[in-house]
Amino acid sequence: MASLMKVINVSKIYDLGSEVITALNNVNIEIYKGEFISIIGKSGSGKSTLMHILGLLDTPTSGEIILNGQNTKGMKEKELAKIRNKEIGFVFQSFNLLQRTTTLDNVMLPLKYSDIPSYMWRKKGLDMLKMMGLENRLHNKSNELSGGQKQRVAIARALINDPSIILADEPTGNLDSKTGDEIIELFSDLHKQGRTVVIVTHNEEIADLAQRKIIIKDGEVIEQ
Amino acid sequence: MRTSEIFRSSVVALSLNKIRTFLTMLGVIIGVFAVVALVSVVKGFENYITDQFNSLGSNLIWVMPGMVSFEQGGGEPSFANNKLDSKHVELIERYASDIYSEISSVVRVPKTIKYKTKTYTATLTGGTERMYEILNVQLDLGRFFSKAEVDSKARVLILGSLVTEELFPTKNPIGEKVKIDGISFTVIGTAKPWGPNFDDRVFIPDTTIKSSLGVDRYTGIIVRVKDDEDMEDASRKIKLAVLRDLKEDDFTVMSQKDILSSVNSILNVLSVGLAAIAGISLFVGGIGIMNIMLVSVTERTREIGLRKALGATSKDILIQFLTESILIGFLGGALGLILAWIGTLIASSWIRAEIPWWSVLLGFGFSVVVGVVFGTYPAMSASKKDPIESLRYE
Ligand SMILES: Nc1ncnc2c1ncn2[C@@H]1O[C@H](COP(=O)(O)OP(=O)(O)OP(=O)(O)O)[C@@H](O)[C@H]1O
Ligand SMILES: [Mg+2]
Repeated sequence: MASLMKVINVSKIYDLGSEVITALNNVNIEIYKGEFISIIGKSGSGKSTLMHILGLLDTPTSGEIILNGQNTKGMKEKELAKIRNKEIGFVFQSFNLLQRTTTLDNVMLPLKYSDIPSYMWRKKGLDMLKMMGLENRLHNKSNELSGGQKQRVAIARALINDPSIILADEPTGNLDSKTGDEIIELFSDLHKQGRTVVIVTHNEEIADLAQRKIIIKDGEVIEQ
Repeated sequence: MRTSEIFRSSVVALSLNKIRTFLTMLGVIIGVFAVVALVSVVKGFENYITDQFNSLGSNLIWVMPGMVSFEQGGGEPSFANNKLDSKHVELIERYASDIYSEISSVVRVPKTIKYKTKTYTATLTGGTERMYEILNVQLDLGRFFSKAEVDSKARVLILGSLVTEELFPTKNPIGEKVKIDGISFTVIGTAKPWGPNFDDRVFIPDTTIKSSLGVDRYTGIIVRVKDDEDMEDASRKIKLAVLRDLKEDDFTVMSQKDILSSVNSILNVLSVGLAAIAGISLFVGGIGIMNIMLVSVTERTREIGLRKALGATSKDILIQFLTESILIGFLGGALGLILAWIGTLIASSWIRAEIPWWSVLLGFGFSVVVGVVFGTYPAMSASKKDPIESLRYE
């Protein structure tokens, strides 16, 4: 299998002056194209920190991230932003939709920071929302949607630039278990379509659904 | 991000909070309105004064008693030590005879005029028969007084339109007798409406004023210079003629141009001062913009984090917030201008107010600059936000 992302000796240390917090300690992970990975660990173990580093939103204190054979170390903010826009699809626990903005506009948001010509935005947005079964909610504002619907909009937004990897940080954390299961089903479908998916979860059952389970404890990977 | 998209998303962001946006704009609206409206009213005054002078013609020279300085103190010149009298008219007639076409003394005194039970306090203006030509008096009824009447100190007078209106609202005044200081005068003519500075006048031979009312000093001497004479040259000759009798400090020779430029320089100082005061309200408006933009940045911390996660650079965020504040300034400026324009339209029924192009540019330019200056700090703080902390922000 082709390698998509390599995490080499990554540490993240917060020096707060009074104390030093090691959020990640010498983490090594390789992610292959088309994999479905779950990351599980206790609260405060460093899962979100790892996700942010995988998504190039945060930079490690030491170590390197290789994406598609390209070392991202030392890249300029502009380059990183561009890679995030094209290659990374973020899904958050708290949805993070723009308030009082329509479903369609929310989904199209990443396109506005891309090179994709604006005449294609609408069609792409419609296609994504159709795929998520939200074609009858196009013009609803985000506050008019249920939790499950919001997360679908967020997933549509994550997919719209056809990224190489989807990073979901506790995507079911704010949902009831039935709706959560539906969302996990959706990620599993995306994996079956050949996409690379990484999910952070507290839930063992969900973690077991993935192909590979990474267990993280006190900033260290103890099993993968 | 594309310019059109930045613009669109700024409009959307501002329209999400319409009342707040409007209140933020209000400072700029009031500031621009104040600057432009004040300048336009001052401009109206300037027009008014210029019109007044132009209606007299541009080749008049005044000889006035005392030192007249419009720049210091302003207002009416003081006549405390008035030495101007008929001798000086004769001196000009003798020594500057080649440069003038008309010359007349002018005596101006406020006097109460009585007709039966009605009274009116008019500006009695004494002069020779030539004042008719010099001041370009437009008669409504009757005639102006003649040389014979001046020579014989006849008790005749011509009423300005306001005086006519007050004393003879329905009656033809020609031939009627009016009383000043208990002395009877015959109305021989009335003037057409002319301008606020002239309509309350009553014209009377200067000899009559002197003999009947005991006023013997002149308020001034007016000289209409020949069309082909150089005004500066004429001023100098008149001055030399009067200097034969009076000292430099006893009188002032002023041409139309001198007076106009003094008045205009006062008005310019006035309008700059007013604009500066109004500018302070623009500054206050700017502080309002900064305040609200800072609130908005804090409120939208998560949005900023999200946008960065989705591929926005710090520059994208900076431009987005800066565009919002510039838009507030721009729209505020536009609304302020519209208000000032309406205000000027209303004011123009009294005074020929007009909005000079530079004040539009100034008002508009300032409001946009205010948007930039006071929007930069909030936009910078937005762009510098750490995406992860922003996403964690509750
Ligand atoms: N900005 C920061 N400054 C200091 N310490 C931080 C900062 N961000 C995170 N940490 C610390 O790093 C550690 C890992 O945090 P992280 O958010 O990655 O945990 P997590 O596994 O995602 O937890 P949860 O399951 O509760 O979301 C925690 O101890 C946290 O307190
Ligand atoms: Mg977390």
